[in-house]
Parts: sequence; C-alpha cells; structure tokens
Amino acid sequence: MLRLVTQRLLALVPLLFIVSVLTFSFTSLLPSDPVDLILGDVGTNEQYEMLRERLGLNEPVVTRYFIWLGKALQGDLGTSFFNSVSVMEAVMQRLPVTLSLTAAAALIALVVGIAAGIAAALRPRSWVDRFATLGATFGQAIPNFWFGLILVAIFAVNLRWFPATGFTPITQSPWEWLRSIILPSIALGTASSAAIARQVRSAMVGVLQQDYIRAARAQGLSTRRIIFRHALTNALVPVVAVLSFQTTVLLGGALVVEQVFAINGLGTLAIGAVRQQDIPMIQGLVLVMVALVVVVQLLTDIIYGLLNPKARPS
Amino acid sequence: MSTQSASQPQTLRRPRWRPGASHVVVAIAVFVLTLLAVLAIFADWIAPYDPLHQDLIHALQWPSAAHWLGTDDLGRDVLSRLIYGCRIAVIAAAEGTSIAVLLGVPLGLFIGYRGGWWDWVVMRLVEAIVSIPGIMVAIVIIAILGAGLHRAMIALGILFSTSFLRLARGVVLAEREEVYVRSALVLGASDRRILLRHIFPNIAPPLIVQVTLTVGAVLLAEAGLSFIGLGVQPPQASWGTMLNTASAFMDLNWFLAIPPGIAILVTVLSVNLLGDVLRDSVGRGIAATAEPETPAARYEAAAPAASGDASLPSPRDDEVLRVEGLQVMVASRDGAGEVPVITDLSLSIARGETLGLVGESGSGKTLTGLAILGLTGAGVRTTHGSIRLNGQELRALSGSQIEKVRGNEVAMVFQDPTTSLNPAFTVGSQIAEVVRAKQGMSGRQAWERAVELIHRVGIPRPAERARSYPHELSGGMAQRIAIARALSCNPSLLIADEPTTALDVTVQQEILDLFRDLQDEFGMAMLFVTHDLAVAADICDRISVMYAGEIVEMAEVDALFSSPRHPYTRGLLSAMPHASDRNPPLPTIRGNVPRPGSWPAGCRFSDRCDFRIPACDRRIALAGIDRSVRCIRADELEVELVS
Repeated sequence: MLRLVTQRLLALVPLLFIVSVLTFSFTSLLPSDPVDLILGDVGTNEQYEMLRERLGLNEPVVTRYFIWLGKALQGDLGTSFFNSVSVMEAVMQRLPVTLSLTAAAALIALVVGIAAGIAAALRPRSWVDRFATLGATFGQAIPNFWFGLILVAIFAVNLRWFPATGFTPITQSPWEWLRSIILPSIALGTASSAAIARQVRSAMVGVLQQDYIRAARAQGLSTRRIIFRHALTNALVPVVAVLSFQTTVLLGGALVVEQVFAINGLGTLAIGAVRQQDIPMIQGLVLVMVALVVVVQLLTDIIYGLLNPKARPS
Repeated sequence: MSTQSASQPQTLRRPRWRPGASHVVVAIAVFVLTLLAVLAIFADWIAPYDPLHQDLIHALQWPSAAHWLGTDDLGRDVLSRLIYGCRIAVIAAAEGTSIAVLLGVPLGLFIGYRGGWWDWVVMRLVEAIVSIPGIMVAIVIIAILGAGLHRAMIALGILFSTSFLRLARGVVLAEREEVYVRSALVLGASDRRILLRHIFPNIAPPLIVQVTLTVGAVLLAEAGLSFIGLGVQPPQASWGTMLNTASAFMDLNWFLAIPPGIAILVTVLSVNLLGDVLRDSVGRGIAATAEPETPAARYEAAAPAASGDASLPSPRDDEVLRVEGLQVMVASRDGAGEVPVITDLSLSIARGETLGLVGESGSGKTLTGLAILGLTGAGVRTTHGSIRLNGQELRALSGSQIEKVRGNEVAMVFQDPTTSLNPAFTVGSQIAEVVRAKQGMSGRQAWERAVELIHRVGIPRPAERARSYPHELSGGMAQRIAIARALSCNPSLLIADEPTTALDVTVQQEILDLFRDLQDEFGMAMLFVTHDLAVAADICDRISVMYAGEIVEMAEVDALFSSPRHPYTRGLLSAMPHASDRNPPLPTIRGNVPRPGSWPAGCRFSDRCDFRIPACDRRIALAGIDRSVRCIRADELEVELVS
C-alpha cells in the first residue's frame, strides 16, 4: 500500500509543477499592475517603487517563482491585497464549510447513485430501470443552484423544515449542522448521483454477464451474496474513477451552491477575490483546490487498488 | 406450441412501440430547440414588454393576465425577460462551443501529429486544467479577462476546449497507426496528406456527439456564472441573472425562480436527449451488423409436441442424473417469439460414471449443462421435460430450493478457468466462501478446508497459493482451483463444460488425469461436455453425440469409436486427427451446424448428409435403448460399410 501511495505521489510531481507554474504566471497575465491595485489612485511614485521592492516584483521571474513556491510549500500563500489577511488563514477558515458540503454531497451521490444503479441493473428494461434512467437524465440536466432554490422554496420557505440560508459548524451543534447542510448537499449531489447511477448500472449489467457470476451461481451461492459481494466489488472498480472525477465537479459546484444558501465558504471568497482582482487570494484558492483534488485522487487510487487486485503493484 | 402462439401478439406490438417512444422524445426535443431559436431571433416582436422597463409600483407580482409570469423586484415583466434570455442562451451556447471547438480541435490535431515534446507539454497542461474544478478555471480566466457574457464564454470555451483537444488528438493517433501500416505498402505517399484525408471522416461522428454534450454543459455553466454574478451582467436579462434576482427574494416571491429554471432544464434536457440519440445512431453506424433473420414460424413443425422417443433404459439403483425429454427455448433476436435450441433430450448417468456430451459448437451441449442447473440465463427457458437428480425433480424446485441443490449435490466446472474465478478475491477465499455458505463451517475451518482441497487437486504449497488472486495463476492452476471449488461440498454430479479446451495441450492431460483420480476418490457422476473426441475417448464411459439441439447417437465409448452408426458421428470421427496417419488431408463435414431457428424440418443433419433420401425429410426418432441412433438408414449403412 505504501508503495502504491509513493508511486502515485511521484506521478503527481509533474502535474503539481505545471499547476504551480500556471498559478504563478497568472499574476503576469492580469491586465492591471498589482501595485496599482493595492495603492489605488492615491499612491506616489515613491510608494509605488517601495511596494514593488517589498513585493519582490523587481526580481527576475524565475527567482520570483521559486521564492513564491518555497513559501507556498511552507504554507505561506501571501497576504490578501485588500485586507491584509493571510491567504492561508482566510482559506483555512472557510475550508471546513466547503469541505463538509462537498463531502455530504458526495455521500448522497454515492448512496443514491449506487442504490439506483443496482436496482436498475438487476432488472434491465423494467419500470425500475426506466424510472432510474429517467431520473438520471433529469438529474444531469437540472442546474444545481436552481435545484437548491426549489428546495428552499419547498422545504424552507413553505414547509419551514430547514433553514433557508446559513451554515452552522459541526463543532457548534451537530444537529443544526445537519439541518443546515441537508438542502445544499442534496442540491449539489443530485447531478453526481445521476452520473454515478448511470455508471453503476452499465458496470453492473456488464459484470452480471461475466463467467464468474455464472460460476458463483452454479456453486449455489445466494443471489444476495452474488450481487453485493461478487458483482458489486467488481462493478465498483470503474465507479471509483467516476467518483474521483465527480469529487472535482462537486468541489466546483459547491462554490455556486454556497451562493444559493448564503454559505460563507470558499465560493464566496473566490467570487470576492475575482471581483477585486485579489491575486494572492485567487492563487491560494487554486492551489488549495488542486491539493484537495490530488488528495481525493490519491484516496480513490487506494480504493481502486483495494477493489482491483490487478492494479496493485507486486 | 401453445407458448408460441401465446407469445405472438405480444411480439407484434413490441417492435412498433419502442421506436415510437424515442421518436416522440426526439420530436419534442427538436420542437423545444426550434422554439428557443425562434424566440431568440424574434424576441423583439414576441416579447410583450421591454425586458428592461422598470415599474416599481408593480414589483414582485405573482402571475396575472397583464404579466403572465409575474414581475421581478424592479417590476420588469418576467415573461419578456425570459424570452430575451433565450437570445443570451443561444449566443452563449454558440460562442462557448465554437471557441472550444476552434481552439481544441486544431491544437489536438497539431500535437497528435507532431507528438514529442509538444504533445507532452500540452497534455500535462490539459491534465492540470482538468484537475482543477471547472468553475474555478472559469473564475480564474474571468479574473484575467473581466466579467461579462462574451468574456465568460471565452473562459468556458478555453475550459471545454480540453475535451475537444483530447478527442482530436486521439483520432490522429489512431489514424497515424493505420497510415503508417498502409504507407509502408504504398511507398512514396506523403503521410501528411493521407493523414489529413483520413482524419475528417473519422473525427466527424465523435465531434458531433461531443458538441451536443458541450452545448448542454456550456448552458449550465453560463447560467451558473451569471447566477454568481461573473457572467452576464445586470440589467441584461439572462436565465442565470434572473435566478440570481430570484434567490434574493425567495421569501417574498418564490415563483420568480420557476420560469428561468424550467427554461434551463428543458433546454439542457433537449440538447442532452438529442445528443443521446445522435450518439446511439453514430455508434450504430460504426457497428452496423446484419443480424440474420430467424423465422420463428418454421419452428412449429420442427418442435415436437411431446417426447416420442423411448431411448432411455429404465432407472437403475445407482443412477444419479436422469434427464428426459428436455426442451429449451430461446428468445429469437428480433424479439419475435422463441425458437427451440434443445429438443427432446434424454440422458442418464450413474454413480462413478462419466457420460460424454460431444458435438460441434452450437449444438447445445453447454446449454444442456446449464439447463440441468437451472442457469440458462435471460431469454432462455426450459419448457418441457424432467430433470431428476438423485430421484428429486429439479424443475419442480423453487429458486431458493434449487440454490441449495447447486454446489451441494451438483456443481459445474467451466471452460475458461481464468474468467470463471472472481478477479477481486483470493482463490482460497472463493473456495472457503462456498464451504462456509453451503456447509455452515466457521471461517477458519472453511479456510483450512480450502487449503486442503487446493492440496488435493495437486497444487504445491497450497497454503501460499490460497492467498493468490486468479490473475496470478496459470490457466491449468486456475482450472485446478475451479475443480477444487466445485468438489468442495462433495457433489454427486459434476458437470464439466469443456474443462480442458482453454488449456495448453500439455496441461490438458494432467487435468484429465485429475478428473479421473477425483472420480475414483469421490465417486461422483460426471457429465463431460467436449467437442474433442480424443478427450472424450480418454475420460468417458459412454458418449452422447449431439447435433443441432438433439442427441443423434449414444453408445459405450468403445462401440462408438469402433462402429459409429450415425453419419454425423462417422463424419466427426473421420475428421479426428490420428497420430499414425498424417498424410491424407483430414476430411471435414461440409457446411456448418444450422443455427437454431433454421433447422431442417426432418433429420437436422440431412442438409450435410451424403446418404440423404426423401424419407429423411420427416422427423426421425432416436431408436435403441443402450445403444441408440437417430437415423433411419443406420442399419442399411452399417451393412454397406462393412461389405
């Protein structure tokens, strides 16, 4: 297992390098001069030069890149141009919010997607299958933020079962956290559950036709054991790959869904940063997101290895 | 026959109904998209109000005769804004998708063609972009370009160009392989020109499909960006900005959220559905195969109403399996009814005996084995006959009852050992699982039993091997494991379906020896399915020869080989290679086994038989008890051959 993790980590080095270069060079692609952005119209030439010097903008590009990278690796992502808050602090403050939303949505997507996929695959062309397929078709076409608004209209505004907006940290009150996270995570997870259901269905239909399933039945094993142990273990192998991709999608979707429920997460931070062209903040956000995606990929690789013995390095 | 006439009306309806449903869906999707285009083009004439005209006195109104969909927070007419939103949606989809195609396709073609460093660098860049959530990539690009419809569409175009880039690159790489092979033959042809000529026909179908997928994704992304305020800027009316407004006034008028959301949903749904249909038809165009027609009507004559044969000896005391008058039907490919694949099949096997079931592929041997287990699969069902295992009628058992019989009293070994073991579990755990589930052993006991069985089937270092996964074993080793699993509950009947066919010749003999040893030890009856007469001669006591779903001859092994009576058996024997005489070319039986559904009405071998006479066109019964043959000229031909 350690070997698998090291192998995967090494494979990620070129990717991380390119992402860091992209993220860094983003500064020089901006139309406006960062120093102008900070000083506004009021700065004098002297102040301008001083700030340039302080930000290290007079160094050659390569030097600046390595200084920046070295700091980033130590967790120093710089300070916001606008309120002098440490980027790392600002991101870390909101990360749990976005993460819990993403994780809850991923959980919903997995549970609903796998259940619907299996149900559909067991009886192809039955009404269960048709219903699941129809649901998946709709699920993939509904904008997550609109679905969120509809959920708010029904369950928050009219039925008053859940709060319409806001987020309660789990440390503060687990029950209120659950209440605040349910509607957003359903809104966010629906499209992914549709994608997962489709994948599970097609993988399961394929696996159920395999020789080893027939052999297991010939051995007189119970249908339940065959479906949930023999078939599902194999059908989940391609689903893991989808899950890895879907987590990236969910993380992105969370930025938008947060706005529906006025949840102060990374999305709010990102939108504010874009509006103000807060370069360090945007850079920090991109890096943190890539780090999250990389961690998720690593986790799914490990699960993949556990499910599929052929993928383990021997 | 009653089943056939009953299934007729059903099958007439089915083919008509299914394309009808998808036609309706396509028609609705096309209608929605046409409506969208018309509204987008003629918005100025169709919209009842100016979408920007404010009327603060009549703000946040619910639907009324004056304002069909109500008014928003500034008193603007929601319907008019929705109609103008169509224009934005069409522009967004067109712009975003075009940019993605125009950026991705040429770049993909280029790096695919150039390869090397260009390819490596661009592909790593693509990987980097793909690993960041799409909306974040768009947000970053918008941070550089600024907000607004066209800038947001450039951002989405860049984002979605990665999928077109990969598609184009893939097509070039696939074609390059082809062209290199071909240009080696046609020397002097410039491969750049050949490449270009081959790319366009190959890239068009997947490109069309990808475009429909992208249009849907762009529409959703544009709405999302406008919703968070980074796409279309107010006061311009787009579905996303309308939802943004709605979200701020959910408490006062939640209806504001309904019209734009429905518009997005219906549009994206239509695009996706059209994409699905396109993908299916593109896929079908590539894999167009002419399915041979299976006329069901002819079968009425060929399917015998009941068993007319009396070819089975009366039951013996040590009889394990007795099958009488088995008939299996399969749903025909066009969905029009069923055709028989096995008819009037009878056989009997005693304790310690091995019956060979021999015939060419397609004769129904394997299906016979599966039918005994009740595992024929979807679309196949046993319609007639009796299957008695140790005196118990298997066809009368319920699903859970026969589940108990399988594994405990009858087990099966399959042709390909590497695919009949589950790739996800160790081989030891797969044997232990059966012992645990069927005999209620504890986990530890079951594991010990598994190791013991693995040792018994002749695998060295069994405790270590038990921890291997199927892919780590050779074919012969895997087959030994499969045999160990089949015998784990000491069944009285073992069905072996071509168990040596997939194996190396040198391993075949070892496996056959193993079967013989195990039979001596466990005393089970064996039904040995094979197409290889040499294998059958080696291991079987008696042989039933199968042809086109029925048994044509049954005899003791020696009798069958020394004096075959059916012309088909004779043909099979003479097609068998002998080590002694290599020189004369092997005679073959002309023609092929007819497919189920196109069997001759009389003797099913008559089309390929050299001895056919007019009387062969009637149904022929299997004659004889201990040595039976299904040929009306058997006696006469025997004399002829001897003389």
